[in-house]
Amino acid sequence: MARVRAHDADAFEALYDRYHRLVYGVAFRMLGDAPTAEDVTQAVFLKLWSAPNLYQSGNFEGWIVRITRNRALDILRSKSHGHSELPEQQPSADDLEETAFADIDAGLVRAAIAQLPAEQRDPIRLGFFGGVTHEQIAQRTGVPLGTVKTRIRAGLRKLRTTLEGTVSV
Amino acid sequence: MNTSAHDEMLDTVAVYALGALPEREARAVREHLRSCAECREEYRLLAPAVSAVGISAEACVDAASAGASVAPPGPLLKKRIMQQIRPNVGEMRAVRPIVWPAYAVAAACVVAVLITSIFNTSLNSQLRESQTRVAQLNAHAAATARELNTQRTAIADLLSPDSQRFEVANGYVIKHGSRLYIAMNALPEPPKGKVYQAWTLRQGASKMSPSVTFVPNGSGVAVVPVPVNAASVVAVAVSVEPDGGSKQPTSTPTFVLKLAS
Ligand SMILES: [Zn+2]
Repeated sequence: MARVRAHDADAFEALYDRYHRLVYGVAFRMLGDAPTAEDVTQAVFLKLWSAPNLYQSGNFEGWIVRITRNRALDILRSKSHGHSELPEQQPSADDLEETAFADIDAGLVRAAIAQLPAEQRDPIRLGFFGGVTHEQIAQRTGVPLGTVKTRIRAGLRKLRTTLEGTVSV
Repeated sequence: MNTSAHDEMLDTVAVYALGALPEREARAVREHLRSCAECREEYRLLAPAVSAVGISAEACVDAASAGASVAPPGPLLKKRIMQQIRPNVGEMRAVRPIVWPAYAVAAACVVAVLITSIFNTSLNSQLRESQTRVAQLNAHAAATARELNTQRTAIADLLSPDSQRFEVANGYVIKHGSRLYIAMNALPEPPKGKVYQAWTLRQGASKMSPSVTFVPNGSGVAVVPVPVNAASVVAVAVSVEPDGGSKQPTSTPTFVLKLAS
């Protein structure tokens, strides 16, 4: 990232090669169509190039995932024309300390998520990729709001524990 | 906050970490996190799990076999993005000579022709180009603005009636106040691997100091702002040097000009 800050195009290209599948994958998962996901990918990487200082420090993967998700939320928001309430954007420059899983493999995470009970997995996926609030999750699934929240927390905790067992933190 | 109410808060923190709280509630959680160590710890624990959920969506080449995933975008996307990156590389580093058509500088009446030609061709097209690029990329805005400003200053200096113009081989040296320009109108292309380099002699110094390097455009024209306080310079010279410039001249200068102080 230091080299990208210095506007080193080769370093940027390496960063693209390393992370474009992640950015595109998150965008596709949220938006459901390839051209829009490509647009989001392009926007995220051009933003990274033009304003590299948005990334301060900490886990880069987590950061770029948040940036991508926020961008996709913007698009969902513009599509819904303000008719439905969307969750707030995640802070991109997180002032809260976050320990991260170093270089975690997507396949491992998929396996860990698959191990979660469906009642925890579904609201987590819906909340992250669906661009909906916890209230909307409760409405859609017919589960009381308090229960939705408890299940989200339990699922995230379980996910963390499972991943801790497989990768270094 | 009693225990059960705070348990509920911890659940809310998890939903906050997931990014599924509406704006108003999210603000309340952020506020609470500032003052509650327990909830901060909970957030710190859960945030990486949320990042992991995002990472699970990574597109992979063998999408079909990996399940629950998509194929990555094709190489065209990368090409599209890199095309917007590459042309801008290096723009912020080099001192770019301001280049305009040969006839503008070569004309007998430099000043009059400069007004029309520079504004019509060089500055306008560069401005248009820059504006498009800024709009496209929203990048380098500051650098471009600085550059345009430098060019405006240069043009104002070159046109100013109280600028001093000194005729030298292949062009002019122009001094306006503290600013100094080398304006070449018939400069031959330097040999391969070589560039032109400016040199300045400060008042009281015994040796020439190295300054910017430049090459003329296809018409032999180069207008180069010399980054120096012209008021303290008593001589300026140009010589042919290896690409990248030299610490001291390695060839006979194409001109040496003593500036009246
Ligand atoms: Zn608390």
